[in-house]
Amino acid sequence: DATQGTSGDCKPCPCPAGATCAVVPKTREVVCTNCPTGTTGKRCELCDDGFFGDPLGQSGPVRACRACKCSDNIDPNAVGNCNRETGECLKCIYNTAGFFCDRCKEGFYGNALAANPADKCKPCSCSPFGTVGRQTSCSQVTGQCQCLPNVSERDCSACQPGFFNLQSGDGCERCNCNPIGSTN
Amino acid sequence: TRPGVHPLPPGTHLLFSQSGRIEHIPLEGYDMIKDSAKAVLHLPEKVVIGVAYDCLEKMVYWTEITSPSISKANIQGGAPVAVIRSDLESPEGIVASLDGSHRRVIIDSGLVNPRAIVTDPPNGNLYWSDWNREAPKIETSYMDGSNRRVLVKDDLTLPNALTYDSQSSLLCWADAGTHKMECMHPGRGDRRVIMEGIQYPFGITTYGKNIYYTDWRRDAVIEVDRYAGRESDEFQPQKRTKIYGIATAYAQCPSGQNYCAVN
Repeated sequence: DATQGTSGDCKPCPCPAGATCAVVPKTREVVCTNCPTGTTGKRCELCDDGFFGDPLGQSGPVRACRACKCSDNIDPNAVGNCNRETGECLKCIYNTAGFFCDRCKEGFYGNALAANPADKCKPCSCSPFGTVGRQTSCSQVTGQCQCLPNVSERDCSACQPGFFNLQSGDGCERCNCNPIGSTN
Repeated sequence: TRPGVHPLPPGTHLLFSQSGRIEHIPLEGYDMIKDSAKAVLHLPEKVVIGVAYDCLEKMVYWTEITSPSISKANIQGGAPVAVIRSDLESPEGIVASLDGSHRRVIIDSGLVNPRAIVTDPPNGNLYWSDWNREAPKIETSYMDGSNRRVLVKDDLTLPNALTYDSQSSLLCWADAGTHKMECMHPGRGDRRVIMEGIQYPFGITTYGKNIYYTDWRRDAVIEVDRYAGRESDEFQPQKRTKIYGIATAYAQCPSGQNYCAVN
């Protein structure tokens, strides 16, 4: 308040190097109005959208604001791609998931870090008849679904040789063919 | 203690969101009075995306994505009031006016990356854009969600920005992928390019002969003369960071009865 007539009327802005500030009418709260590039918040303590860090070191060592690190699995046209403080990725695409969009999401398998989106994460597509509990998820890496007894293939879609009746939903049964009348 | 609105002086203004605040640029005629641009509302902890203005109630509405919510405040100096706080993930586009108690789902399928949404209340129409990279589109329906149709799907990439001008009945959009600004009368389908080679549009609004859009590459509000089809002015705030939504705060409300007023 510059109208009081004392030397303490005007105080320096509580903002980083050179940022201007303003007093919010009514609440008398001081907010920085021109935070350094990439930062924002009342005291320039936050990173802009699309960046993460802790520019004032409020919860640990100072971490300058950096662009979201999401393994190239976010869309630059999206907003809110990562948590502004922790950097946790919030909008993974190409069927990826995880803190850094670095693994396949439930129900998908493959290499989330592959260069070509088509090579990243493919659907498990587990056969509902051959998979334990009709699960839809599979091994993140190999894509192997969890098969019922005597069921084979990555997606549990076939009976092992010598077995039949995948449709039962309880695994495959032995064929019980008479060895004398069978060809193999 | 909550921040409040710095009351807007009389006249028509542009409102736009940039990181933790909503700013205004007064308009004199159709020109931006850039020296008088100022923050209307400081929301330092928030990331404000969409901005809309309700002319009748003189309310500014906005969407915010850090704790996803929709809020409003009176432009003549009010405190922010949350309208919707639950069941939102990434609210982006917004159109006034809303009442949280009247929330209902209008469209819940066939949306991938919906962004801009605008209304034509006199005719009861709703328009929205979806920047789904596999199948970007601009759609329309009645304001209750019925009679849904795809209006535009060819030669679109990232239709981020969409606006409807009730005076001229023109639907205009700007695309960050094709780098074009285009308009059409939704009923006639007479699509026409206003400008090419624009950089990275995010928000758009119209006022009279001008179209104003926000640009992520230029961190600026750009004024385009829609008849001349060229840029006529630019406002770049001191703070260099992305500018998101933009809306026109009319001094005089556009005429036309609100279709929703009768039911």
